Amino acid sequence: MKNLLIIIISTFTFTISSNSLYSQSDRDQIEVQVDGLGCPFCAYGLEKKFKEFKGIKDVKIEMETGIFNFTYPSEKEMTLEKVESQVDKAGYTAVTTKITRGDGTVEESKQNITELSDKSEIVSKDIFVAGNCGMCQARIEKTANSIVGVVKAEWDKDNKMLTLEYDKAQTSIGEISESIAKAGHDTKYSKAEEDVYNDLPGCCQYERVQ
Amino acid sequence: MELYKYVLALFLIYSISSCNNDTKEWSYVKTIDLGSTTPIGLTALEGHLWVSDGDNNQLVHLDSEGKVLFKEEGFERPMHIASDGKSIYVPEYGKDQITIFNGKERSQLNLVDSLDAPAGIHIEDGQIAIADFYNHRILFKNQNEWISFGKEGKADGEFYYPTDVHIANNKIYVADAYNNRIQVFDTEGNHKMTIGKEEKINAATGIYVSSSQVFITDFENDRVLVYDLEGKLVQEITEELEKPTDILLENESLYIANYKGKNLMVFKMIHE
Repeated sequence: MKNLLIIIISTFTFTISSNSLYSQSDRDQIEVQVDGLGCPFCAYGLEKKFKEFKGIKDVKIEMETGIFNFTYPSEKEMTLEKVESQVDKAGYTAVTTKITRGDGTVEESKQNITELSDKSEIVSKDIFVAGNCGMCQARIEKTANSIVGVVKAEWDKDNKMLTLEYDKAQTSIGEISESIAKAGHDTKYSKAEEDVYNDLPGCCQYERVQ
Repeated sequence: MELYKYVLALFLIYSISSCNNDTKEWSYVKTIDLGSTTPIGLTALEGHLWVSDGDNNQLVHLDSEGKVLFKEEGFERPMHIASDGKSIYVPEYGKDQITIFNGKERSQLNLVDSLDAPAGIHIEDGQIAIADFYNHRILFKNQNEWISFGKEGKADGEFYYPTDVHIANNKIYVADAYNNRIQVFDTEGNHKMTIGKEEKINAATGIYVSSSQVFITDFENDRVLVYDLEGKLVQEITEELEKPTDILLENESLYIANYKGKNLMVFKMIHE
């Protein structure tokens, strides 16, 4: 009886251990949110660009939300930077990127890098920024949010107004405006360089501010 | 008596001039709901409609009333399709090939040149034209010989992501999608005309040309623009359109594929 009990417990323990080993996947799960994927030609093009990564599987695109999912072999060590670079090569802007590794750990991109202090003074302002579509929105907002000092940046594609909240102690409207112009979008205060504007995807080529 | 003849002559002149001034417009008739199908391309074969469903990687076969007869799955992003009267030609954007489907079997269109995301094809009297999206060019077969014309750019004869093509009236019409315009070429690839520059098109994605009109889907502006063959705008169709991707004129009915609306809008020509 005692021997039988030992065998049963040993078998049970072995089974639990085996299951723990098999619960780790050998594939990473990647999720990118990309704005402006409402056009099917755009979305299929993004998918095609990512198929350059040999080993990519389980591709899924949700056009409404712009969420693009796929899995990739863990051993090939995909990085947030490589994912964002590939999205960029396809002509889009990654709004958020998340990698769930096969062992369960999660890496995520940061949308906003501003840290506030005792000297911070938050100011709200709306400025005109020229653009056309969801892709423009992703580019404008990501550019603005990447500036140290910007707390919030939301662009309305209908009225072309960028609603900003920023820390006066760390940045200024001029600096924000220049950064957005460098990304290709004319603002009330700054104009994009011609070659940068011309490099925008066709659907983003808004009417220039005179 | 002389006065009578004079009055009659005036009446006849008035009637003829009135006919010439009659406005003919496309008018909405009905909607064909496609359920979960997200239509990209449209064509007709033997009186039936075929729809390419890019999101679901399938072709959908409908009868003339819009009833689904069957679905053929397993394509890789089928785009603007065409028919040669016997088979459906399917540009598979994800596979870089043109697949020929005769209702039962599939084969591949043999090409010496390689495609990069073919987005549209049209066949007319033995001629074939292909919109080669990522190569920013058109491939055209005139009886036996293939030519290639166009490159990436904004000038006349250049393209920025062409998504569709139509052969008609001995010319090649190209939906130059992200240059937001239509370009017209002769069968040797020489640029002849550009249409749509004044209308602020935002993504000219699908094209159809009849013997008298040019139709273009303006995807982001939710409208279809109708031009005469000289490039003059004659109608702007906006009713019920949600991200239109293609147009087809079949048996006097105008079908417009609504990608976001997941339906086909049907219009007929009326005299006003």
